[in-house]
Amino acid sequence: MKRALPTAAVLVFFLGPLAWQLLTSLWPEAELTRPLPSALTLANYAGLGGTFARAVLNSLLVAAGTTALCLAAGASAAFAIAKLEFRGRSLLLGAALAISMFPPIATVSPLYLALKALGLRDSLAGLVVPYATFALPLTLWLLTSFFRELPDEIYRAALADGCTPWQAFVRVFLPLSWPALATCAILVFIFSWNELLYALSFISTPEKRTIPVAIALFAGEHVEPWGQIAAASVVATLPLAVLTLLFQKRIVAGLTAGAVKE
Amino acid sequence: MRAAIILLAACASCSRSARDDGPAGAPVTIVLKHQPLWGDAAPFHAFLDRFRRENPDVVVRAETLPNASDVAREMFLTALEGGADDFDVFAIDVVWAPEFARAGWLADLSAAFPPAKLREELLPHAVEAVTLEGRVYAVPWFLDVGLLYYRTDLVARAPKTYAELREFARAAMARDPRVNGFLWQGRQYEGLNCNVFEAVWGHGGELLDEGRIALDTAEARAALTWLRETVESGLSPRSVVSSGEEETRRAFQDGRAVFLRNWPYVWAEAQAKGSAVQGKVGFAPLPSATGEPGAGTLGGWQLAVNARSPASRRRAAERLVAYLTSHEAAVELALHYSRIPARRAVYDDPRVQRGAPFIAALLPIALAARPRPVTPYYALASDSIQGELSAAIAGLRPPAEALSRAQRIVDHLENPR
Amino acid sequence: MMAAPAAAILAGVALVPVLAAAWLSLHRSIVVFHEQRFIGLSNFRFLLEDGRFWSALRTTAYFTAVAVAVELLLGLPVAMLLHRGKGLLRAAVLLPWAIPTAVSARMWAWLFNADYGLLHRLAPGVDWLGSPWTALHAAILVDVWKTTPFVALILLAGLQTIPEDVYEAANADGAGRARTFASITLPLLRPAILVALLFRSLDAFRVFDAIYVLTEGGPANATETLSIYAYKTLMRSGDFGYGSTLSVATFLCVLAIGLLFVRVLGRQR
Repeated sequence: MKRALPTAAVLVFFLGPLAWQLLTSLWPEAELTRPLPSALTLANYAGLGGTFARAVLNSLLVAAGTTALCLAAGASAAFAIAKLEFRGRSLLLGAALAISMFPPIATVSPLYLALKALGLRDSLAGLVVPYATFALPLTLWLLTSFFRELPDEIYRAALADGCTPWQAFVRVFLPLSWPALATCAILVFIFSWNELLYALSFISTPEKRTIPVAIALFAGEHVEPWGQIAAASVVATLPLAVLTLLFQKRIVAGLTAGAVKE
Repeated sequence: MRAAIILLAACASCSRSARDDGPAGAPVTIVLKHQPLWGDAAPFHAFLDRFRRENPDVVVRAETLPNASDVAREMFLTALEGGADDFDVFAIDVVWAPEFARAGWLADLSAAFPPAKLREELLPHAVEAVTLEGRVYAVPWFLDVGLLYYRTDLVARAPKTYAELREFARAAMARDPRVNGFLWQGRQYEGLNCNVFEAVWGHGGELLDEGRIALDTAEARAALTWLRETVESGLSPRSVVSSGEEETRRAFQDGRAVFLRNWPYVWAEAQAKGSAVQGKVGFAPLPSATGEPGAGTLGGWQLAVNARSPASRRRAAERLVAYLTSHEAAVELALHYSRIPARRAVYDDPRVQRGAPFIAALLPIALAARPRPVTPYYALASDSIQGELSAAIAGLRPPAEALSRAQRIVDHLENPR
Repeated sequence: MMAAPAAAILAGVALVPVLAAAWLSLHRSIVVFHEQRFIGLSNFRFLLEDGRFWSALRTTAYFTAVAVAVELLLGLPVAMLLHRGKGLLRAAVLLPWAIPTAVSARMWAWLFNADYGLLHRLAPGVDWLGSPWTALHAAILVDVWKTTPFVALILLAGLQTIPEDVYEAANADGAGRARTFASITLPLLRPAILVALLFRSLDAFRVFDAIYVLTEGGPANATETLSIYAYKTLMRSGDFGYGSTLSVATFLCVLAIGLLFVRVLGRQR
């Protein structure tokens, strides 16, 4: 019972505006300024169209690619930094942090030129690489911090069992790190899903558009169809909600495996 | 038989390299980048199809980009600076033309569209906005102009002077306290510049002095003071200071105001089914200090050709531009998308007079529309100008001080250290 | 080398634009006029005297300090709620962060609307976005709403690493809830708190969307942060030289913050 009040407060604070957004998406366009709608309508959703569906698919591809790349590179690097001794590991961590400090807007023009030179401009792969790059620092830091918390004995035990560092990583540490990996996966996925600046600047063919750009296209020259934009954002958030629901079990899997406690 | 196979093979290789300057007879593909036109896309696509039929050697690929001027600008700046050549015809905001032309990103269209001829056929101020040093760099596609909307059920006629505006609004507000007097856009953005410039012209001032932007003038001070006073005196609600076009439109459409300064798009929205003010809205030129019809700010989009398009594509691009800005095209845009034509004759076209009487009646207002300072420095300075004007409107700085600060910034930009 | 792929990606993709931007900051480069003149540190000298820069820096610092503090204070209780909460609650709480910032900022702009917004009905007479003070706090509210889930998630990951038997032992010792929290949970959470603090500060210092959509930096540039100033200089004015200078300056500030945190993080090891 004691949890009910704070839980309710949290739900209202976080979900309230979203519920309002959902309501707005069902609100007839002409009545948006009235206190309450006279009737609910699905017209805003009907108006979304096939191009938006295409954008959702593109976003899915880019986000999945970014997450995979980020986790693969990040997890192995984090393990190396945390457990292996090699020169320049602090430098790597520091550089990763420094990179993530730079205001993205100043990188748009140089990146555009770089991608153009590599022939990656206007391609979904050309989005995955910059996204993964700017999501890497957080991944690295989270996973490094996590791996550091895991006791060194496990690593030494694995080595004693005859594993190479890589095998120790894959067979012993990875299974233990589901909570951290799941957390990173969600953070990177959401970052990639919602990124607008690069998606706008680097992609030009309409078929390759991602969701944030598609939403930006709903506005007419002056008219801003709030209802339709609300509907689009609800549709855009749905996959994320589903993913979060699926992942949340992993996030709190906990270290009840027992290996850590010993 | 062998000839047929050779012919087939030749055709196959033709279509594969359609994008380059292929062998003679191969269609040239040009890319058109434009904002999505508000409404049903079908008529526009049908229109483009007709171009393809009439020009079988050209394939047009239409790509949309966001309407938000800032977003489109960012995209163009990055792409054009990066030497993009993957689009040929693109729509630019009216204030970008002098700047992009100066940067050398727009092809000189003076040969295909002689300035004298353009000035004859299109509205003169619209042509002025695309001409730099006597050469034409873009062709006006459709326009926008600031005008005054008023409630026909609350006031007898449109006000001609600022004093009348105040008087009529106050009378209506006295009768119905829930109603606001005068809605306009006072948020810090480009729209604020438009509102202020209209007030400056309305007070008899000019913005360009021998090609240089002049803001620190007596008329500008009077204009800015007038606007600030509308908020201080309660003629305009306080929310005007953070409102843009949409907020004020919705408020007016909801019946909450007597007067609204906005763009022509509001008309269709206000007269649509479900609007609380349907049938009760009139429009007129903006008021002025002397009673002469005030000038609205010229807005709208123009079609330009990428300077980096190779010669073969450029000819096709120019043909597309000519087609899209032709009389027929303007009529289509007016009828289906309520776009204000840049071509003078379209206003007198019987189809427009019948199917879009609002647009036909807009001619005197459109003729009087004035562009923002036509100099490459305007786009550079516009952002700083917005900041200072916003300070005056929000009451954070006296108008005179705001204007002199703005002038200093503009001078500094025009005279680099 | 296991760290090689990560290092390669970072070096290749991220370093290049960053170095390019730093290089540009030493030039007078107005894109439209095709001007690109090397002027050394002149831009930086101008920066030091640029009132608008200092104003933006103050605004950004204030925003960062308040936003991050509130997010941490809210994030911790939320993380604890999620720790033992149902999955649905976790998914629900993460949603604000899942919506594209531009969209959620627009949604809040509508809520703050001085004529129709929900908040107007609750507190009539306040023009949230029309006066500098309330506008900045409105933006902070938007940021807090959006990113507290992020902080909560990181703290939750930290909470998950605390083994159950630690709590059991404390319970057996007769320690109360508050005591357990203060002397056991909090210290063990320190790494997670510091990571959350670090990344949130870095992000908050570079805030853009939340404020831009609400006020575009207005009124009178009063809510303009460093990122917005840099954006306007780069994209509106086409001044790639000074815009890059502003970006480098922002980077140096953020670097300073980062170093501060890393020192603290390092010390606790």
